[in-house]
Amino acid sequence: MSREPSIYQDRKRRLVAAMADAGIDMLLVYGNAWQGDYLRYTTDYAILEGQALALVRADGHVTLYLDSPLEIDRVALECPGLEVVHAPSLIAEVDTALDRFRNQRIGAAPARLLPRRLAERAKDLNLGDQTGFLDRLLMRKLDSEIAAMRRAAKLADEGYSVFRQAARVGRADYELIAEIEAFFRANGADHNFQIIGVGGPEVRGMAPPGGKKLKRGDLVTTELTPRVDGYYAQICRTLVVGEPNAAQMKAHALWRQSMEAGIAVVRDGVTAADIARAENDVFRAQGLGEYTTSEYTRVRGHGLGLFVDTKPHILEDVKTRIDEGMTLIVHPNTYHPVVGYMVLGDAVVVTGDGCEVLTATPRELFSVPA
Amino acid sequence: MRRGLMGWDQNELPKSALEARLARLKAAMARDGFDAYLLYTNLVRPAAVCWLTGFTPYWIESLLLVPGSGTPMLATALSKRVADWVKTTAWLDEIVNTPKPGTAVGQRLAALGAKRAGVLEFDALPAGLYDDIVAAAPNAELIEASAVFASSRRVIDAAERKLIERADALAFAALAQVDTATATDAGALAGLVEKHARLAAAEEAYIAIAADLDADRRLVPVSGSVPLGRRFAVRASIAYKGAWARRIRTFTRDAAGSAAAARGAAWLDGVARSIAADRPLAAQLMGHGGTLSGAKLESFMAESVIRSYPLEVIASSRAPGGEPPAAGTFLVLTVDMTIDGIPWLGAAPAFAGG
Repeated sequence: MSREPSIYQDRKRRLVAAMADAGIDMLLVYGNAWQGDYLRYTTDYAILEGQALALVRADGHVTLYLDSPLEIDRVALECPGLEVVHAPSLIAEVDTALDRFRNQRIGAAPARLLPRRLAERAKDLNLGDQTGFLDRLLMRKLDSEIAAMRRAAKLADEGYSVFRQAARVGRADYELIAEIEAFFRANGADHNFQIIGVGGPEVRGMAPPGGKKLKRGDLVTTELTPRVDGYYAQICRTLVVGEPNAAQMKAHALWRQSMEAGIAVVRDGVTAADIARAENDVFRAQGLGEYTTSEYTRVRGHGLGLFVDTKPHILEDVKTRIDEGMTLIVHPNTYHPVVGYMVLGDAVVVTGDGCEVLTATPRELFSVPA
Repeated sequence: MRRGLMGWDQNELPKSALEARLARLKAAMARDGFDAYLLYTNLVRPAAVCWLTGFTPYWIESLLLVPGSGTPMLATALSKRVADWVKTTAWLDEIVNTPKPGTAVGQRLAALGAKRAGVLEFDALPAGLYDDIVAAAPNAELIEASAVFASSRRVIDAAERKLIERADALAFAALAQVDTATATDAGALAGLVEKHARLAAAEEAYIAIAADLDADRRLVPVSGSVPLGRRFAVRASIAYKGAWARRIRTFTRDAAGSAAAARGAAWLDGVARSIAADRPLAAQLMGHGGTLSGAKLESFMAESVIRSYPLEVIASSRAPGGEPPAAGTFLVLTVDMTIDGIPWLGAAPAFAGG
């Protein structure tokens, strides 16, 4: 696992102070390899197999319950400061452990993923939903967290270069990802979120590879998202197999204009909706507003950090205030009726008067030999 | 999150096999008086829904509702645009894309007039989904019914066995890429093994390495530069079309280590081929442990696929109890031994009774 202990120490100090301010005696935190950010923030452990529950006390003491013996071996090496319990019957064992903390104010996060058996004891245990409490800590990053994001963004740029080199006529989509994963493992990224699209107007989005082989004229879209020291940075780019045609170039220019309009708005004090609106206005001005709706696109960007798709979602109906220290990707990814699905996105960190763009890959429609 | 090849090939997983599995579950539901059955899935707990439909979420979560009569419904938080992709990976006639899968399932339970709905691993059902189901279906009683699923899933059919064997072949071939003469860095080695598995169409590849076995036998995922010792071990946990297998190989650069590793590998191969059905696993593994001269069995573990986890421990030296395996049960045997004073780790698949 890629891990920088000093970041956890920074987070832990902040967490303990925030728990004291909020009057929370203990946090009950759930995590798995899909939604692991709350667990990682509070324990620094990146679980891979099975599920975990952690009891985080107000003084910072952590008891981590894991049901997989494979994880038990690893956690002792990677997080030596934690009290670790191998709990094959995870939920039953934590249920019993919670009895010791009656009459305390316990917060759960993320509450929606808490096992039903534990959530049903909410009244009995004075267990409240504190997902929002941790969300605020997750969204606004400390300097050491932003430094990790910069390292991840650098690898994202390098990873996209590997991707371009791997993209050739006749290669299957999953082979491109295989090349990138090898690069990331050798260079300090222990995980990567990546989806891909290959083809033309029939392609409506990105997904895991399905075995399509690249052919001349294909648009190849990807968002790749390496994790370094726990933090994900994302880049979205599109390439063409062979020379791009006029329609593809025109569409890409629009995507670039939209992304840059969104990035230009990002600064402390705006809302997620402001950023989305700036992106979408560019499409609307060209008569393509329909393609900014949920029929064709999910979000116009999102938060980045210990989870690949964290809050806030960049949408016109999301009023979340954007604060200095937040890290986001701005990506007007959507479908174009002539050329198909196209993506372009850069990761940014919010500053007082604007933002710093973390990814440095040129914002161009790339081309690889056909 | 999954990022390897995902797709449904009916030559590998015929619809008839999925229909037979569904029929077995429905028969068990009828036997125990359930109107409906609910199965949760995410990328950590995909095995049960995958067994019934072929579907594994590459991220986010979903719920499968199996009615007593009629076809299953998948309610998924994956966006509507991804529905077509889902259908390329699985046998699913009805997909409901919704930010509230629990509500969609609850509404369907209510529409069906379901009174008793069994749930796989009810305790572990995420609270948010549970609340939404109950709100939409206040008259349906949700009941823990993992045993109903387990009784249906006990048999490994020919299609599943072939997929497992393919996953194992990918793991075997990926580990065969390791060259002790040139391997110096554990991060690069993890990348090499993972790359090979993914190039061969693995859906997922978790690579873990004990970089210096003489110092520490624990296997951990590695990224970045970590020097490899004289003796090291690599674990490849590989998924192919939803079927998982694990292998561990120990590699050494010295003659004594190589001899011990070869003896260990041959021993484990023999053990894997001789696991009997209907006999306690721990007793079998401990018994075999005494058959390798100069060897001490430090620990062991047997995993299988029985519920929603791709692999879960069913017997180990930490917890040697457990039910004896039925004939045909798929197992992954993991062993930690000291052979002639040299640390050795191994893991290999087995089918109880051959």
